[in-house]
Amino acid sequence: MIEDRVDELLQKLQKYFSHITASEIMNKNVITLTPGRTLWQAKELMKIRKISGIPVVNEEKKLIGIVSIEDIIVALERNRIKEPIASHMTKRVVSLTPDEPLDSIISKFDRYHFGRFPVVDKDNRILGVISKKDIIRTILERFRLIYVHDERRSQILQKEAEWFDKSLITGDYVKKSYADFVFQINCTDIDLAGAGAAKLKAFLTKRGIDETLVRRVAIATYEAEVNVVIHSESEGSIYCWIEEDCIKVRVEDHGKGIENVEQAMKEGYSTATDHIRELGFGAGMGLPNMRRYSDKMVAMSEVGKGVVVEMIFCERG
Amino acid sequence: MLLKELIDRCGFRIITASNLNEEIKDGYIGDLLSDVMGNAPADSIWLTVQSHVNILAVASITGIKAILLCNGLSYEEETIEKAKENDITLLETEKSSFHASLALFEAGLR
Repeated sequence: MIEDRVDELLQKLQKYFSHITASEIMNKNVITLTPGRTLWQAKELMKIRKISGIPVVNEEKKLIGIVSIEDIIVALERNRIKEPIASHMTKRVVSLTPDEPLDSIISKFDRYHFGRFPVVDKDNRILGVISKKDIIRTILERFRLIYVHDERRSQILQKEAEWFDKSLITGDYVKKSYADFVFQINCTDIDLAGAGAAKLKAFLTKRGIDETLVRRVAIATYEAEVNVVIHSESEGSIYCWIEEDCIKVRVEDHGKGIENVEQAMKEGYSTATDHIRELGFGAGMGLPNMRRYSDKMVAMSEVGKGVVVEMIFCERG
Repeated sequence: MLLKELIDRCGFRIITASNLNEEIKDGYIGDLLSDVMGNAPADSIWLTVQSHVNILAVASITGIKAILLCNGLSYEEETIEKAKENDITLLETEKSSFHASLALFEAGLR
């Protein structure tokens, strides 16, 4: 029953995450066995590691089979548990390629009802393993941070005017005129980078908001503001709304935009110039810091049209 | 430990000081602003070789109380002005960040 619900959920989610590939989902920490080990050893390993199947590889690390709990049960029934894996493993293994997309992976789970699939390179060397748990973990990670991409991205971008007026998180129209705090970012003066975040910090502190919450808001806003100053080559704005149970911040500009948001999210990735780096910027930690200090963050960008970053901060008990 | 006690024991040069009675609880070494922004604890002293005015925004947002500029470098005039506005103490030393942090450790900050 629960299994069915998981499947149903995965079916629904896959269309939003269809661009995720096996190499991003797989668990690279693969436990393997060589065919000379016994089924008894496989059983012990499954028990200790709490897994239900182990890929079998030869000396060249090439995949030659899989031993599953079912194989162990059959061997136990026939009293052959002390024998080598080689003669009992499943040899016709269904594997995945590293660039296989999520929908194809899910359809294989549906078709074969296996608990896990090995991911192999073109020489059949094992790279990782994917179970449903790995898929769910990957999707959950993406949920925390939705970089609006692919299908949804193109949908939103078609209505160009809208993504500057609508919330990326809730889809509602953003009432910029009702913002509790507004700051215009001046992109021509790098000395002023961070002035908006510092003002926002002072503003929130004055409103009596919890100190650690204010600090998180200020740090993440600083990063967004600095990005506008050093990357956008355009004016930008910071908006902040104090809601009953959270603080919302939106930082936007109409500048160059980010070519690849997903790449920019990676720690250490930076396109800053040498001059900017000399000033101590360009560590490639801006977007990762925003993600780390906010509870929810959505970044949206298109080359030549600008960037919108929305962040939500909730008080933690 | 109080900032003024730390400075006394370590012999750092004071460039501007408006909060010498603040309690310093921790420290951080870093020259990349985002790294410091993301990791520096509040109520700390920051050891760096960055002297540009942007360090003040980082310090005031994270709650850094004092900045120690290492390797015999000196601050830009604008940085000093901004520090006064923000109540952040600016210090200088000939020592490298590593040796300055050893001095802070020996002075009792840990």
